[in-house]
Amino acid sequence: MAEIKLKLKKQPKFPLEADVITPDILAGKPAAEIKKLLLYYGNESVKLGDFFDVMGKSTNPRDTKIIIDGDLSNVKRIGEKMTDGEIIINGDVGMHVGNQMEGGKITVNGNAGDWAGAMLKGGELEITGDAGNYIGAAYRGFWIGMENGTIKVGGKIGRESMLWARSSKGAAQFPILMCGAAGSFLGMHNHGGTIMVEGDVDRCAGADQVWGQIIIKGKVSKLLPSFKKIGETNEIELPNGQKVSGKFIEYSGDHSVNKETKGRLYLAA
Amino acid sequence: MVDKNVKTYYDVICPFCGTLCDDLEIDVDQKEQKVVEVRNGCQIGTRKFYSSNPSEHRYTTPLIRENGSFKETSWDEAIDKAADILVKAKRPLLYGFASTECDAQAKGVELAEILGGILDNTASVCHGPTLLAEQDVGVPTSTLGEYKNRADLVIFWGSNPVHAHPRHLGRYSDFVRGYFRQDGRNDRFIVVVDPRNTNTAQIADLYIRVNPNEDYELFNAIRATLRGVEIDEKEVAGVPKDDIVKLVNIMKDSHYGVIFFGMGLTQTISHHRNIDAAVCLTRELNNYTKFLITPMRGHYNITGANAVFTWNTGYAYSMDFSRGYARYNPGEFSSVDVLMRDEIDASLIVASDPASNFPAGAVKNMFKHPLISIEPHHTPTSVNADIILPAAFAGIETEGTAYRMDHVPLRLRKVKDPPGNVLSDKKILERLIEKVKEKKGE
Amino acid sequence: MSLNNLILITGRTINQGVALEGGKTTRENVRAAGICAFDKNDFIKLNCLAGTPVKVITDFGEVLVYSTISEEGPHPGIIFIPMGPWANQVVNPDSQSSGTPTFKGIKARVEVVKNAKVLDAVQLISKLKESN
Repeated sequence: MAEIKLKLKKQPKFPLEADVITPDILAGKPAAEIKKLLLYYGNESVKLGDFFDVMGKSTNPRDTKIIIDGDLSNVKRIGEKMTDGEIIINGDVGMHVGNQMEGGKITVNGNAGDWAGAMLKGGELEITGDAGNYIGAAYRGFWIGMENGTIKVGGKIGRESMLWARSSKGAAQFPILMCGAAGSFLGMHNHGGTIMVEGDVDRCAGADQVWGQIIIKGKVSKLLPSFKKIGETNEIELPNGQKVSGKFIEYSGDHSVNKETKGRLYLAA
Repeated sequence: MVDKNVKTYYDVICPFCGTLCDDLEIDVDQKEQKVVEVRNGCQIGTRKFYSSNPSEHRYTTPLIRENGSFKETSWDEAIDKAADILVKAKRPLLYGFASTECDAQAKGVELAEILGGILDNTASVCHGPTLLAEQDVGVPTSTLGEYKNRADLVIFWGSNPVHAHPRHLGRYSDFVRGYFRQDGRNDRFIVVVDPRNTNTAQIADLYIRVNPNEDYELFNAIRATLRGVEIDEKEVAGVPKDDIVKLVNIMKDSHYGVIFFGMGLTQTISHHRNIDAAVCLTRELNNYTKFLITPMRGHYNITGANAVFTWNTGYAYSMDFSRGYARYNPGEFSSVDVLMRDEIDASLIVASDPASNFPAGAVKNMFKHPLISIEPHHTPTSVNADIILPAAFAGIETEGTAYRMDHVPLRLRKVKDPPGNVLSDKKILERLIEKVKEKKGE
Repeated sequence: MSLNNLILITGRTINQGVALEGGKTTRENVRAAGICAFDKNDFIKLNCLAGTPVKVITDFGEVLVYSTISEEGPHPGIIFIPMGPWANQVVNPDSQSSGTPTFKGIKARVEVVKNAKVLDAVQLISKLKESN
């Protein structure tokens, strides 16, 4: 893959909106042209070259690997709506990384801000550290959130992750979130998303879930009263065919939404 | 003996809380242009009318801070300096707007758009979560008049109207005769859900004590029970299961129920998800009877600020104009959050007092940068400002429109002239807009 | 004397509302909003007279306020400070991305501090400006 290397050369005082940093937009441009692309800084636009050193070029998005170095915790919207190619961020990154992504892969070797992978339509987002609130969630006022693709977070995510996630068996679209630990309201208003947590989860997991699977391998302080234990299982089959083995207690829920429900929550026994 | 110098104004709208009482009587000394008596108002509304009288607490002329103290100045100079600050700022915050009339609020939108700044109102720290929930699941609601005439079950959840909306109970929700509730209080069943046995709970028919921060779990259990699903726990959120079942039956058996809710739901840890659950519960109860829900809005025209911002931009609060158009995202563009992250480099505070009402960390960061305060009287925000633009009290000294908590618009009256050299909020914002445009070369 | 494992709730009171409209920079305001109301039985454990200044401590800050006995009890384990500059020294500023700080339901503990001065609103807030 052809590499385009970006290095943050000064820390932004205001949030820097960098939605142009995607393989789709950077591919086919020489470094001099990339430096002239506009980023948004407060109420002004600035040149990408004002904040980043740029090296390298690529010919098409699929073949593009963008490597970004630096503490990007105040840089938002990297990878927005990308359809192909790869982005590797060596450092923390700000809000909205990979939002509305359709394909390709983003790897964050650090922590990510809120709304990482929001409304994901495909592709893969991997965060080695922690991530904020609303991971893989729907934006305000939207009632369809993440529809496909995979988000992996090594550390802990905040609250309301996978909000309004929606899968489709007919279209073979199965949004999946995997994380190390999770905050409250995990899988809120879930409509078919699959969530797997290696560690512990805070309160109100699966709130308003209509259908989907939430698999928790660690501990939960308390499940919602509307989740009912229906049995035990040694193997869980995910909608994409993948199988998860281990001893789990199976719960159905959220029964505050429906008297009968296909929604499931599995808690390690 | 009737004092010829005193004129009485009838049916005056009270500019304090979201109940927007419309039956106040104000006596004004015509010569002194002073309020001399207020009738029908609650303690707080009454005090507000009196505080508009000339006093050492009222600003009567523009002030600019110089060498640590305030210097009187002309409107031209004050507007010029304020516009300078705003135009130079890369990320200005325009905040407040809840205690002024709708035309002024519209000017605020215009100014924020020209400046490419962040525009927000007090819903951000108050009923913002209600708006977030409404955007997710809707809101089956009605007007206060309907509730007064029809409701036989009134639930106050996380709301303490005896203290926050003193005449609400007497005019609309409790101690008042309605068309279908001719026996007033005796025709109604009042329920209060609160962690404390508040003064409102003490006059209710049923008080349910809920653990702090566990309202969501309680809503969840109530909804499940309503669906006919038996919950396994003996107690949820500190409420015994039997009491939950009893409450569900009370709700199903009512003819017309309403839930009024307040900060107990918006400011506890579940925030908007509490209201999400409350709205879903209300919706589901309509399978059995008529049930509605209304937020107890705090400021007298915060509903107006939300309405005006929405019809101008599509969004009700917490929006950013930095890329030339409105973008909405509480958590990212909300005032306390941007201040906590120290993202702002100038503030224009209109008709509100964030120094008193924001968490200390946000206030500290707000004070790091230039602050312009449009304000009628001394507040902790204004005394720490760099420029004070003295305003008239909307609803006392200027006319305008305000929206009640149930979205009913009412016309505010002018009952007296403001003291000194003050202007209306609308006029001040108009002059700022004009000066900012001039400086930007438009 | 001190009390641990308390939950702090902040909110409106009618006195705070009246004082607010009358001028937030007055002494009346301190008596209306610079206070902390305790459950009757909790207060006995503090072993002091009502009105004694107490220090309220949370993960987010600490503040000196006058102690009072709640008229809206019983609420064992809960303390109440009216909304305003005193409460805002100790509330949770984190909105968890909702936009609204968590003004209610914060873990707190309390220590009795005799012979201490409870600041008025202007003094309290000016300290924030001075610390910049």
